[in-house]
Amino acid sequence: MRLHGVGRRYGLRGRWVLRDIDLDVPRHALLRIDGRNGTGKSTLLRLLAGIDAPTAGRITGRPATAYVPERFAAALPFDAAGYLVHCGRIHGLPGPLAQRRAAQWLERFGIGEHARTPLEVLSKGTAQKVAVAQALLAEPELLILDEAWTGLDTAARAQLDAEVTARVAAGTTTVFVDHDPARLAGAATAVHRVEGAALVAVTPAAATAPNTAPAAVLIDAHRPGGPRTVPPALPASARTLPARPGDAGLRVTVAAADSDAVLRALLAADPAWHIRSVAPAPGPAPGGALAKEDGR
Amino acid sequence: MTSRLPALLRYQAALLLRSYRWLPPLLLYAIILAVGVRSGEPVLGSLGVVAVAVLPTAAWLVRVCVTGEPPAARAVTAAAAGPGRVHLACLAVASAAATATGCVAVPVVAAVSAPYNDDLTVGIPTGSAVLDGLLSVLACALLGTAAGALCNPPVLRRRGWPVPVTALAALLVLVASGSPANAAVTGLVTGSASGHVTLPLLPLGLSLLACAAATAVTCRLVARR
Repeated sequence: MRLHGVGRRYGLRGRWVLRDIDLDVPRHALLRIDGRNGTGKSTLLRLLAGIDAPTAGRITGRPATAYVPERFAAALPFDAAGYLVHCGRIHGLPGPLAQRRAAQWLERFGIGEHARTPLEVLSKGTAQKVAVAQALLAEPELLILDEAWTGLDTAARAQLDAEVTARVAAGTTTVFVDHDPARLAGAATAVHRVEGAALVAVTPAAATAPNTAPAAVLIDAHRPGGPRTVPPALPASARTLPARPGDAGLRVTVAAADSDAVLRALLAADPAWHIRSVAPAPGPAPGGALAKEDGR
Repeated sequence: MTSRLPALLRYQAALLLRSYRWLPPLLLYAIILAVGVRSGEPVLGSLGVVAVAVLPTAAWLVRVCVTGEPPAARAVTAAAAGPGRVHLACLAVASAAATATGCVAVPVVAAVSAPYNDDLTVGIPTGSAVLDGLLSVLACALLGTAAGALCNPPVLRRRGWPVPVTALAALLVLVASGSPANAAVTGLVTGSASGHVTLPLLPLGLSLLACAAATAVTCRLVARR
């Protein structure tokens, strides 16, 4: 997807919120958009998601898109499962598949018991989980997250981090805005800052602080109901850790460079593995990075 | 991508039905019918009331549908299916709801009315009266949809304005000579005087064009304001 000289203003004589933006969003990219409050980050995300059209310039090659707003407290007359099924169909899924995915995602976020709860009475965090589920169940090619982590509990934030990392490894392009500067810090392929209606490329965090990038990562996946068979043809650096008692999950350590291949293999398996977390592996990686990961 | 439209229509229809926001416009419709229709009156005149009442109902239902989704939910559906298509689904559902309401009323009103002209000298076949009524209802529903589309977001977005402007526009479109809705209703009234049914084909065609134009303009505008 490409932005060619894109500008946006609201109303006929409004000020330009964004102007002359040229941006290449390659497949597989994980882009972070930074900027102070009110600089136009959300406007840029709305343009990328196709919710708003640019006032000037054009956007070409937008693939199937899903968008997660912040603070999704929807006063809609649906229950959680019903809303997700509607969203799945609008994303182009056939009805039965939309129903299956809706149920799966409610379970994954631990809100299966709220499937029949009206959206209006859900707590803020639970409603936000529904908004995230809406986007992930569509398995979009372009995922736009506008502070999607806001209102989620710690476990759900980690789960969304892992899911985004896995999706990017599987080929989904992701663009996100978040208040937390550490959000997906190691994984972002590029960072851009909105400044004075323009978009400025920022050196990726990984390049400025190479010592924080882990040498190896630990991938924790599980497959409820499915067999615990490891996908064949994993990269040579992948090591399966022994199963922990009482946990049917699969833990794999792998060189950071090969982690995408492992994630792809796990997601491509049938039934697909669900990625619980992707974290720096203990051992050769610097202890500081791991401690930070745990402390969050 | 056009395969997204059935899903959007289903979603918007469910949204309208479950929100019960259809209730006020339908009450308006029922009140106009209760005031304007008497059993045993000449059929074409009563069907004129049925058609007239559909126009403001359609305009109100458009307002209900285009403002029915909270902004965050609208952003989600717009990203998934395109903002123009989401708006199109809103207008289509509102228009269909208004048309359906009128189409239910037409045979009921025809059944309780006298199948004669105004001075009860010329008989009017119920079948052709019903057909005339249905086409007039359709013309008024389409024109009401056009008026509602042009008097609500994304065209008119200032708080407080859309409701009075929509009401005024619906009234103007009904009384202005040269308006297809006015022509369709006038056709029913003069038909009731003369005892001759003339189907409102030209007004229907013009209403269809007006509705298509308003739909095209607003669906294009919705992502640009």
